[in-house]
Amino acid sequence: MSKQSLLDMLQQQGITRRGFLKYCSALTSLMALPPSMMPAVAAALETARRPSVIWLSFQECTGCTESLTRSHSPTIEGLIFNHISLDYHHTLQAASGTAAEQAREQAMHDNKGKYLVIVDGSIPLDNPGFSTIAGISNVDMLRETVANAHAVIAVGTCAAYGGLPHASPNPTGAVSVGELVKDKPLINIPGCPPVPTVISGVLAHYLTFGSIPELDELGRPKVFYGQSIHDRCYRRSFYDKGKFAMSFDDEGARKGWCLYRLGCKGPMTYNACATLKWNQQTSWPVESGHGCLGCSEPDFWDAGSFYRALSIPDGDYAKAAGYAVAAGVAVGAVAGVMNRSTKASAVSQHSPVSVDDFSVNKNNNQEG
Amino acid sequence: MQHLSDIKIAVDNPSLETGNLPGILSEIEQALEELLNSKQVHRIDLRAMPWSAGEEHKLEQMLGRGEVTIELNALGKSIFQETRYSGVWLISHYNEAEELIGKIIEISYLPDMVFAQQEDISRGLERLKTQRSQDS
Repeated sequence: MSKQSLLDMLQQQGITRRGFLKYCSALTSLMALPPSMMPAVAAALETARRPSVIWLSFQECTGCTESLTRSHSPTIEGLIFNHISLDYHHTLQAASGTAAEQAREQAMHDNKGKYLVIVDGSIPLDNPGFSTIAGISNVDMLRETVANAHAVIAVGTCAAYGGLPHASPNPTGAVSVGELVKDKPLINIPGCPPVPTVISGVLAHYLTFGSIPELDELGRPKVFYGQSIHDRCYRRSFYDKGKFAMSFDDEGARKGWCLYRLGCKGPMTYNACATLKWNQQTSWPVESGHGCLGCSEPDFWDAGSFYRALSIPDGDYAKAAGYAVAAGVAVGAVAGVMNRSTKASAVSQHSPVSVDDFSVNKNNNQEG
Repeated sequence: MQHLSDIKIAVDNPSLETGNLPGILSEIEQALEELLNSKQVHRIDLRAMPWSAGEEHKLEQMLGRGEVTIELNALGKSIFQETRYSGVWLISHYNEAEELIGKIIEISYLPDMVFAQQEDISRGLERLKTQRSQDS
């Protein structure tokens, strides 16, 4: 933990009070706080200290790191070098091998009880040898690193809920961070990958206020995951009017009608894509003409075809997940039970997507 | 071409609207009344709103451009544009890479950030005194 405050550092760089206030204004927006909170953000940042951050990457595709490094608000350089002391990230750091592991151990030793651990990727339990770093299994590295951490952030659906590695039949016995870390504050930032500004927004909240934001029952910050894609979707009015695209090239699709009938998972997906968008707010999947895949929800890979409407049952799994939601039970819990009981049959039920999936009429004909 | 924003996109589909535009205009109207009656400043973060393609541009066109434009250069450019409705400011913050990092509508007499700040005045005064002592 640096002894210098962020304000001290900014002043040393010749940044004016105006510049600091502008930075606070951008951060307030980034954290999805109301603009009236800007003075509170400025007051908190005046005394904020840079925490040490250890970033662990396990069974992942590096998409989450790619997403974060494309976050432009304010800038990733500013976030990493001004706001946090990123002491270990084996993809981004220059050091490798023994030197890299020494950096992690040094940061843990110097900042005992105060450092932040960020994890992307799931952790294999069936055979620890499935994924190792410097000869250390993921589960051992996680337990050792988290032991004296202040808080843990699980970035991406793999770290938050198991993600793709956890999909049936879960060949590596992949589990989420939350299944192993029970005694530390844990924030889940799911998404495949998460919206970059959501990752940096949650980090900014922690760095600014030194606390974790309010979370929902799945451990997600409510400020970003509090509303469904469906509720914030600009195509919602077409859903309400009953105007749906029935294939990806029909009149409804060209007119921008609702994609629900083409499998959009917006009604059951909680994320901030509809407002924050992607690629510097250029667009997001629904605006590009494709339904939401539901990537920030537990077990979205196993929740049936991406191109079947939610109203059409898609095997036992979808039914069970639907009942669980109706009963207020975490989908992940049901998914875990289903995984164990149907591990063998999952492979045979898995149906590849064909061109016929892209049209409601063809789907209906098949079912008929 | 350096940025995505360099790709010019013209959206021509007025049927796609979120319905948020009338709500924002109503909020601005109420905020202007509060500014007149109690000098209450109000800010609206446009990035927190869902917009369809082209809808935000339509809002900007409706607000129009007023008499005052202020450019601030601190950690990248910021533009404070008074709209045709006096007291309604459209504020765009850019980072040093000229990427938009914040867009706010502020209802105030003058945005706070434009005023010279106490700390900056103090430091400027020190610099001036140092400069004069070196010159003499």
